[in-house]
Amino acid sequence: MLIKWFIKHQWKQTTRSTIFQKNIAVNIFLGLIVLLLFVELLAAGLFLGDKWHTLFPEADPVTKFNGILLYYFAFDLIIRLMMQNVPVMAVQPYLHLPIKKSTLVNYMLSKALLSVFNYFPLLVFIPIAIFQIAPAYGSNIALIWIVSVFLLMLNNNYLLVYLKKQMVGNAKIVGISGLFLIAVLVGDNYGLISLSNVSALIFDKLILNPIGILIPIALLAFTYILNFNHLLGKLYPEELRVGKDKKIDTVSDIKYLKRLGQIGEIVGVEIKLFIRHKRTKSIMYMTPLFLLYGLFFYPQPEFQSMSFLKIFIGWFITGGLMYNYLNFAFSYESNYFDAILTHDIDMRRYFRMKFIVALLISSFCFIVTIPYVFFGADILLFHMVMYLFNIGVLSFALLYLATYNTNRMDLSKSATFNYQGMGASNWLSMIPAMLIPVLIFVLFNSLGWPYIGLGVLSLLGILGLLFNRTIIDYLVKQFLSRKYKMAEGFRKR
Amino acid sequence: MIELKNITKVYNGVTVLNVPELKIKKGESFGLVGNNGAGKTTMFRCLLDLIRTNSGEVISENVNVAKSAAWKSYTGSYLDEGFVIDFLTPDEYFQFLANINGLSKGDLDDFHAYFKEFFSGEILGKKKYIRDLSSGNQKKVGIAAALMGKPSVLILDEPFNSLDPTTQIRLKNILKTLQKDKDVTMLISSHDLNHVTEVCERIVVLHEGEIAHDIQTKSDTLKVLEEYFAV
Repeated sequence: MLIKWFIKHQWKQTTRSTIFQKNIAVNIFLGLIVLLLFVELLAAGLFLGDKWHTLFPEADPVTKFNGILLYYFAFDLIIRLMMQNVPVMAVQPYLHLPIKKSTLVNYMLSKALLSVFNYFPLLVFIPIAIFQIAPAYGSNIALIWIVSVFLLMLNNNYLLVYLKKQMVGNAKIVGISGLFLIAVLVGDNYGLISLSNVSALIFDKLILNPIGILIPIALLAFTYILNFNHLLGKLYPEELRVGKDKKIDTVSDIKYLKRLGQIGEIVGVEIKLFIRHKRTKSIMYMTPLFLLYGLFFYPQPEFQSMSFLKIFIGWFITGGLMYNYLNFAFSYESNYFDAILTHDIDMRRYFRMKFIVALLISSFCFIVTIPYVFFGADILLFHMVMYLFNIGVLSFALLYLATYNTNRMDLSKSATFNYQGMGASNWLSMIPAMLIPVLIFVLFNSLGWPYIGLGVLSLLGILGLLFNRTIIDYLVKQFLSRKYKMAEGFRKR
Repeated sequence: MIELKNITKVYNGVTVLNVPELKIKKGESFGLVGNNGAGKTTMFRCLLDLIRTNSGEVISENVNVAKSAAWKSYTGSYLDEGFVIDFLTPDEYFQFLANINGLSKGDLDDFHAYFKEFFSGEILGKKKYIRDLSSGNQKKVGIAAALMGKPSVLILDEPFNSLDPTTQIRLKNILKTLQKDKDVTMLISSHDLNHVTEVCERIVVLHEGEIAHDIQTKSDTLKVLEEYFAV
């Protein structure tokens, strides 16, 4: 019974992964976040399912929903290509054992089913089936519909496994297909093309002819067999490995930095660190998310009066990326931390380098988001205040807290849903980092002096900048007293 | 001169290193042998101030290594792959170190020339990150990096492990030259008794964290050691 062993090993791998081994408090916190996300999605799904027909009163609700399904599957595939990991390497330790190759391939492919991407969307689809399709066509048809949709989701799952191996993680193709799809969607919206009609036609036919469920079954079987045959012939570690780009980058070789001496040299290494690791790279790809965050709030007039929210958004826009960097300032370097400690690197310069990189990140975020002034001049003021606060206060506070993170960080995995290497200090630092500026402002605002509140925040930031040398000296002392603990933690593979 | 005074290190109630006194003279080539878990790497980490000892101090050139960073300017070391920045190419890494160590362009060229043979054409100009090199080639990069700043103290942990035979011999030649010139204090650990007895004038055997033997290398040293370890 090989399959029993596989399941056992899978269970052990999950429970023994560093994230479960670490800290109970962190796990509870994470568990709560996942639960919250689940409940929120469930609530949203139930709400949407229940109220769907009221959104488009003049159209048939089922046809309308069927109309978006093809778009859904296309976007789903693109999102999966960007975010989902393919567990192809899981079979490596079994390859030299006397186990049939077909068993290994089946194991590998069943493992791909475990991805959350296959199940989360059901939170929306099941309520639609229950509240919209069942009343109109009966529960049997609703069941057939939901099973067909689920089968097509799994089909997407296997299509991803296949595509990911073919394209070797080519980000450009994914990006272009995404843009193309958005263009089609816009065209659809203005009646130029009508993919939604095609989509509606297909899935309406399915509802009228339940035998049509055979088509998704056949599709799924086809993609499964396609993968199976493909992988069976490629069961060698070097051929299985996905997206291993062997080319080296030369972009990050910035000549100008070299002229700045030791500090420029270390900044240059830091930039290479970002560009040459999957985890840091995927954080860089998320930059627009940080910068465009304000668009969720600022266009709505009711938010204009809630000024404490502008503090929060200003914090997030000008400091979110910097926060991500400084929180892990040292654990990003866990791979070669011993080298930093033994080479003749002046620690004060090392800290100045971290501070300068943080300053550059935050300044970049502040400058490119100046166009928010379009939504009101006071927004720019709030952003500037928070920018000053972030670079003058938050930056040093985070560097201090980062010395308490002793978890080794593996940078070769993507950052999405990746909590490896995050310690309790990283989570806990989030609360005061966000709350303190908001609280300071709210205090003065409730007394009727919002501008004094802003003044205090900027003053704190300016003071931090003025005394940066003293603060950095203090941080170096803190670092030196923590370095043994950090080095020990970083060495644990 | 390097001096260990009353050094102890305890992990979970187990004493893994206990050295009441050990002096390593300037220019001495010092070999450290012992089975797995004898405390060799722990001792080297103490010397490099990478772990906090439970008691005692390490003195290098009259300065406590935990109190001042002065030793970093004249100490070259390579213990494991955590000592190299693995996402750089070897060329970038050496350039970085040259800058850190204040080496000129000419010094760097000399360095490349000196290690050309040692690298046997597999390291420089290869457009590969260090993390993608084989473990033997990674080790070559680490050892060369340790020697780059022309250190007067050199600390290498298991330098011969995973090197190919030719490179082992070349490394031995490099170390012997350093030994002859007498201006480098070398500390080398190894599982391979042949290699250490060949390179080191003095050999210390560690057993369960304590010094079990301290001998000057003579013609019969290899035999003595083999008898000691053949339990």
